[in-house]
Amino acid sequence: MMRSLVLTAVLSVAATPALAQSLFLDDANFVLDSGETQIVDIRITDGRIADMQADLQVPSGVTTISGAWVSPGLFAPYSTLGIVDIGGESSTNDTQAETELFSAAIRAADSFNPREVHIANARRRGVTHAAVVPQPDGDVIFGGIGMIAKLDNEDDSILSETAFMHVALGEAGASRAGGSRGAAIQQLRSALDDARRSYLQHVEGDVFQRRDARAFRAVLSGDMPLMISASRASDLLRIIRIKEDVPALDIIVVGAEEAHLVADALAENDIKVIVDPLENLPDSFDSLNASLDNILVLEDAGVEYAISGLSSRSVVKAGALAQHAGNAVGQGLPYDAAMRAVTTVPAGWFGIDLGRRAVGEAATMVVWDGDPLEVTSAPTAIFIDGEAVPMVSRMTALRDRYNPANADDRPHKYR
Amino acid sequence: MKTFRACLILSAAIAAACSGADDGDKKDGAFALPTAFPSTYEPLPSESLLITNATIIDGTGEASDADSLLIVDGVLSDIGTDLDADDATVLDVNGRYVTPGIIDIHSHLGNYPSPGVDAHNDGNEVTSPITSEVDAEHGVWPQDPGFDEALQGGVTTLHILPGSANLFGGRGVTLRNAPARTVQGMKFPDAPETLKMACGENPKRVYGNRGGPGSRMGNVAGYRNNWVRAADYKQKIEDGDEPTRDLQLETLAGVLNGDILVHMHCYRADEMAIIIDLAKEFDYTVSTFHHAVEAYKIADLLAENDICSAMWADWYGFKMESYDGILENVPFVHAAGACAMIHSDDDKNIQRLNQEVAKAWANGNRAGLDISRDVAWTWLSTNPAKALGILDQTGTLEEGKRADIVIWSHDPFSVRARPDQVYMDGALMFDRENGLKPVSDFRLGTFATLGEARP
Repeated sequence: MMRSLVLTAVLSVAATPALAQSLFLDDANFVLDSGETQIVDIRITDGRIADMQADLQVPSGVTTISGAWVSPGLFAPYSTLGIVDIGGESSTNDTQAETELFSAAIRAADSFNPREVHIANARRRGVTHAAVVPQPDGDVIFGGIGMIAKLDNEDDSILSETAFMHVALGEAGASRAGGSRGAAIQQLRSALDDARRSYLQHVEGDVFQRRDARAFRAVLSGDMPLMISASRASDLLRIIRIKEDVPALDIIVVGAEEAHLVADALAENDIKVIVDPLENLPDSFDSLNASLDNILVLEDAGVEYAISGLSSRSVVKAGALAQHAGNAVGQGLPYDAAMRAVTTVPAGWFGIDLGRRAVGEAATMVVWDGDPLEVTSAPTAIFIDGEAVPMVSRMTALRDRYNPANADDRPHKYR
Repeated sequence: MKTFRACLILSAAIAAACSGADDGDKKDGAFALPTAFPSTYEPLPSESLLITNATIIDGTGEASDADSLLIVDGVLSDIGTDLDADDATVLDVNGRYVTPGIIDIHSHLGNYPSPGVDAHNDGNEVTSPITSEVDAEHGVWPQDPGFDEALQGGVTTLHILPGSANLFGGRGVTLRNAPARTVQGMKFPDAPETLKMACGENPKRVYGNRGGPGSRMGNVAGYRNNWVRAADYKQKIEDGDEPTRDLQLETLAGVLNGDILVHMHCYRADEMAIIIDLAKEFDYTVSTFHHAVEAYKIADLLAENDICSAMWADWYGFKMESYDGILENVPFVHAAGACAMIHSDDDKNIQRLNQEVAKAWANGNRAGLDISRDVAWTWLSTNPAKALGILDQTGTLEEGKRADIVIWSHDPFSVRARPDQVYMDGALMFDRENGLKPVSDFRLGTFATLGEARP
């Protein structure tokens, strides 16, 4: 077929069907799991790749798209999808709870609603999987146990109910713990001690009651990643100090705006980080040295990183994830590295298999009308585990009702 | 000479401005808005410059055939092809995109600066729902590092507003994004005064347990009661009654007199419609609805009433009144013939407003519209300039305007694009290639600025 590289996909059929189970992709830019791209023709039948070769015969009667891009599903490593409808309405917000009964044992999965509208709104922008992160409240640094979901609105969409433990250090942790970083870190050390303790009564721990201590045992053993919100370089070094005491800890630092100052130490100690490539302001005294070059330094030092939209997560949800990765590319990060940081890297951390995008396999993949990391691109079809998922959401329903291109002149409520 | 008598009660600091107000063509007894804290902004020195071989988006909404721009004395003196350089320095930009400087109509840089410590909360005077006497410029810290990063993002003019806690939040201020020591050194010379007002959830939430308003009904009653007071105050001045100067009512009278542009925070479509009728009741106009997450639902009404909307590309869902956000708001409002623009309200977002417009533009066209790249650019500089009353000076690349120019590394609607050079009034303010960039005092001595010198 046409061998020229067409950057913007052109549909040969007027509109993509709502559920595109079968497609022919002519000269598609196929983004490998490695993040590198090759150009191939792809025939998708019943949600699976039926054939994929340099040159295939265009089939008849199938929606054909030229110059599309195919990527793995995007994985948002830090989100509140499914546990909050409206941030400002506490009745709808299950991200945190102020209670003296529990802390680390609280599971985001127990609050998760797979039909929450933001899930489809984010999916429409190419995000197929998300880590859902509970937040600390009251006077403890422990947010509780986070989960991983696939964003298909199905009742079985939770893939891992006990995927990681979230705690906050830095300014946020200090304010919870009474005012100082020292008090926050002491809570974490005490939690690790309590996790080793045999409780005779439920209230005898230093910071944990029995149920919280039990929940923390998987952290102590390294079976459950410990996700720590922290920003300042000195905090990151204290985290390394804790890992020296408990080498089994599998630590993921979220934020890490000053990680570039201690990148070698992070790499040496296998500390992973989730960073937002847009963070470049001293938002607080936690991040005086925030820099757009943070992620470039981490790449050079060999630190494992995932990309998230931390700066805009409450107002855009996970939907703008690709834009954050694209900005890292604009700053100089290799394209393949940025792509991995929103797909295979975070998926691997939490043991999530996005599936092999190979002939006959049930894989998770997104078909885009342009470069997935470009702000002008959008998905045209999405497959999760070999199933086409709807491209509609509450946002598209509102869009369609009020679209000026809509010739319907009945009152809006009837459209 | 009624105006002059009214001025006698003013402080010495503004007496000069007041006497100036008297020699205009105001008739006896007319309300004249006193001015104070005058701009001391001076463009940096510049040389005559001929930019050639440029791909130009000029902000007029039409495709430009020009490939060259001539800047003399900080002003765009010519735009076209085959321009004569005379003694100007020639800068061949090798086909790169050249656009007007970006204008952000909704920013809190300086009054909610970085770092966001408690001591820096200078954006909301949360002591009363009616604070039309305060002025954002008195809370702007020129050392906010956000100004420098916004310049790196191509922003040359920005409008700083009080927050949305109050029904009448106070005056806004239009700034040049200049590296000055004082806010006066940033003030856009002779830009119209503005007033921030707010609809909806914020005022009723903040004051619900503090004397009200406690509902949207109370919000509207609060606006109306104060417009009645303002009309009365203005009438007294016009009648020669010499009322004691009241800063709160003076701002509102300035709106009724057409001297002050109203910028109103409003999310919901039905609330915007109420405000449109409120403005008719008291015979003033709303310049722009800000945030306007539901503007797409009443785009026809906004067009009919010639009111602009300043919107995000994809922010939504953080409170009830933002739940109905869609990705096509900006293009849908534009398609109805109304004045649409992007805005940031955020110190990160302001650094890449070109990307925000790119998203909105692409989503609009994907939904069936046919909007050109040149038209989409008007959401970044032209319409904000219009809504701020400074389109005669900036916002487009047209002869006689301030030479506020961005030279881009890539197509500005690509995520990869970065401003390579930013010129303000013809002076080079930012240059990615040689590292020219203003640095806030606050950042001195941090490891981010010490570079090779760091220990």
